[in-house]
Order: sequence, then structure tokens, then C-alpha cells
Amino acid sequence: MEACREIDRTAAAQARVETLVLAYQTKLARYIRRMVGDAEAALDLTQDVFLSAHRMLQADPSRELTAGWLYRAATNGAISFLRRKRILRILPLDREIDRSTWRVDERSAASVDLQTALGRLAPEQSAALLLTSYAGYSSSEAAEMLGTTATAVRQRVCRAMRVLRSVMKEDLER
Amino acid sequence: MKGLSDCEAAASMAGAIAIGEASDAQRDAYRGHLAECGRCVGELGGEREIERVMAVVAQARDNERWEPDLRRALARRGSPRRAWRWGAALGAIAIVAAGAFAMEKKSEPGNGGPAISAREARAIAALGTQTAPRREGQAESLAVGAPIGVTTAFSVSVNSRGVPLRCTITKSSGRSALDAALCRAAMEVHY
Repeated sequence: MEACREIDRTAAAQARVETLVLAYQTKLARYIRRMVGDAEAALDLTQDVFLSAHRMLQADPSRELTAGWLYRAATNGAISFLRRKRILRILPLDREIDRSTWRVDERSAASVDLQTALGRLAPEQSAALLLTSYAGYSSSEAAEMLGTTATAVRQRVCRAMRVLRSVMKEDLER
Repeated sequence: MKGLSDCEAAASMAGAIAIGEASDAQRDAYRGHLAECGRCVGELGGEREIERVMAVVAQARDNERWEPDLRRALARRGSPRRAWRWGAALGAIAIVAAGAFAMEKKSEPGNGGPAISAREARAIAALGTQTAPRREGQAESLAVGAPIGVTTAFSVSVNSRGVPLRCTITKSSGRSALDAALCRAAMEVHY
């Protein structure tokens, strides 16, 4: 009896995760790829998010999992990944851009400029810019996901914008 | 609006303008600040400049074509895509040792000066907080589209240079192909 309930729970969790995967996999993977600058790592991290969702739903099938929860998990995963990567490499600490994983039609000046700027920002600043202007969340929603205030998010967006502006200027001067 | 705190407020307003959250009154206040603060004009830019920069973000977003399908990727690989969390204690110790070695090595020619930057020190210090809680070295894989999720655990030993030496499955998924694939993936990583 208990075993049957366990199987039912697993199947129900699996079904809900599949719905989440279908609805959010592209958005989340793109967001994470912008955060970490690498498609392969983004795929692994995206699957990590759904794996966490699966675990959570298996433990509590009635739990409501919002898009905000997925983005928060994605942000935490990406930030941890970047920290680990920095630690492992010790030097240099800047994120490099692996353009080979980006399709030719995605390597527009705007796309490359944005990715270059993101590579120069602290992960929390990148997340503030991407959660708001890329994923469409308000500064208060992004603040909740990042565990900070809306004012801090706006300031991080401003910092990100300044870096992007200087990248665009370098691009013009080249 | 003068002084440092006002420039900070202006930066926050510039951020609000960038993400389309600024009210008319806030925009007026921002213009008022720029009229009196040349530094912010140069550093933050006017509303048009903000729009120009943010248009690049919107354009990059609209040009995205990448549509990964996790389910299709799983089917193509014939086995669940790996999605694992690791952090074997040995790996952590080895990396700490490598970090400490790098610090020592760098400080030699520095004539006693601070050879390691604050950022590097922070990064190395962060290792403890990032890796220590994951001493179990657990790997998990979720087969989306398969009837049930699969959980597998493994541990990896690494040498002082972070090169994996041995991978042992501590909790089998019940599928030898998946176990082998996980260990193969774990052995490819430089810890």
C-alpha cells in the first residue's frame, strides 16, 4: 500500500515537472546561458533546477511551484557555478565568453556586447539586469529572488548598464 | 540634489528608468539632478542614453534562437542527461591546498607585499562555504519523460591537482549503463 502511494507520488511529481519543463525550459536555459556564458553548463544547470523541483514535488505534491521559484533556483545555481568556476581556476577571475557555443545568428553586435558586459559584472549584478530587463520581473520581484532590496536591484541594474555602455563604446572605437 | 547620497539615489533612479519603473516625478527628479551634477551626466547618462543602452539588451533578448529541448537531448543520448551535484571532501581539500599553494607561490616574489588581491582571497575563502556543505559527493539524474526519476550517488577521489583518480558508485540507479555514464562524466571534470 505504502509502496503504491510512493509510486503515485513519484508519477504525480514527474507529470508536474514535465509540465514545468515544457513551459519554462527555453526561458530558463537562455537566462542561465546568459548568466554563465556557456551552453553546455547552462543545460546542466537548467536540469538541476528541474531536478530540485522534482525532489520538492515528490516530498510535497501539493506545493505550488511558481516561475519565480524556478528563476530563484536558476539564479542560485548559476551564481554557485560561477563562484566554483572562479575558485577552481583561481586566476583569471573574469568570466570568458565562449562564442563557439553561440549560433551565428545569435552573435549580433548587441548579443556579443551584452555577453561581454555580463562577463565583466559580478554575478549578482548580471542577475539583477537579466531578471528585470531580460526575464521581465519587477525590481521588487527580482529583489525577493536575490534576497535584497528593490533599491539595491535598481542600483545593480545601473551598474550593469554603465558596464554595458563602456563595452558598446569600446566596440565603436575598434 | 547634491552629495554622495544623492548620486546614489540618482543611480537607483537610472536603474528604475532602465527597467521602465520610474514615475514622471522620479524622471523629473533625475533630470533635475543631472542638470546640477556633471559627474552623473558622464557616468549615468540622460534618459535617451539609458534607452539606447537598454535597447541593446532588448535586441539581444529578441534575437535569441536557442531552444534547447531537455527531453529531446535525453532521447538522443539514449541515457538520462547528467545533472549532478558533487563536492567530494577530498576534492575540496585538494582545491584548498591548491589555493593555498597559489597564494604561497605568488607571495614569494612580492617582497612581502600583498601578492594576492582581495578578490582572489575572497574567491578562495568562498570555497569553504560553497563546497564544504556538499561533502557527500552525490550525483543525481532525472530522466524527464521516463516513468520515474532516478537517483544515483557516487564519490570521486582526486589528487592534489584536482585530477580525478577513481569513481565509485555508492548508490546504484539500478541501471548499469547510467551508473557507468555518471562515473565517466565525473571523471572528465577537473575538480
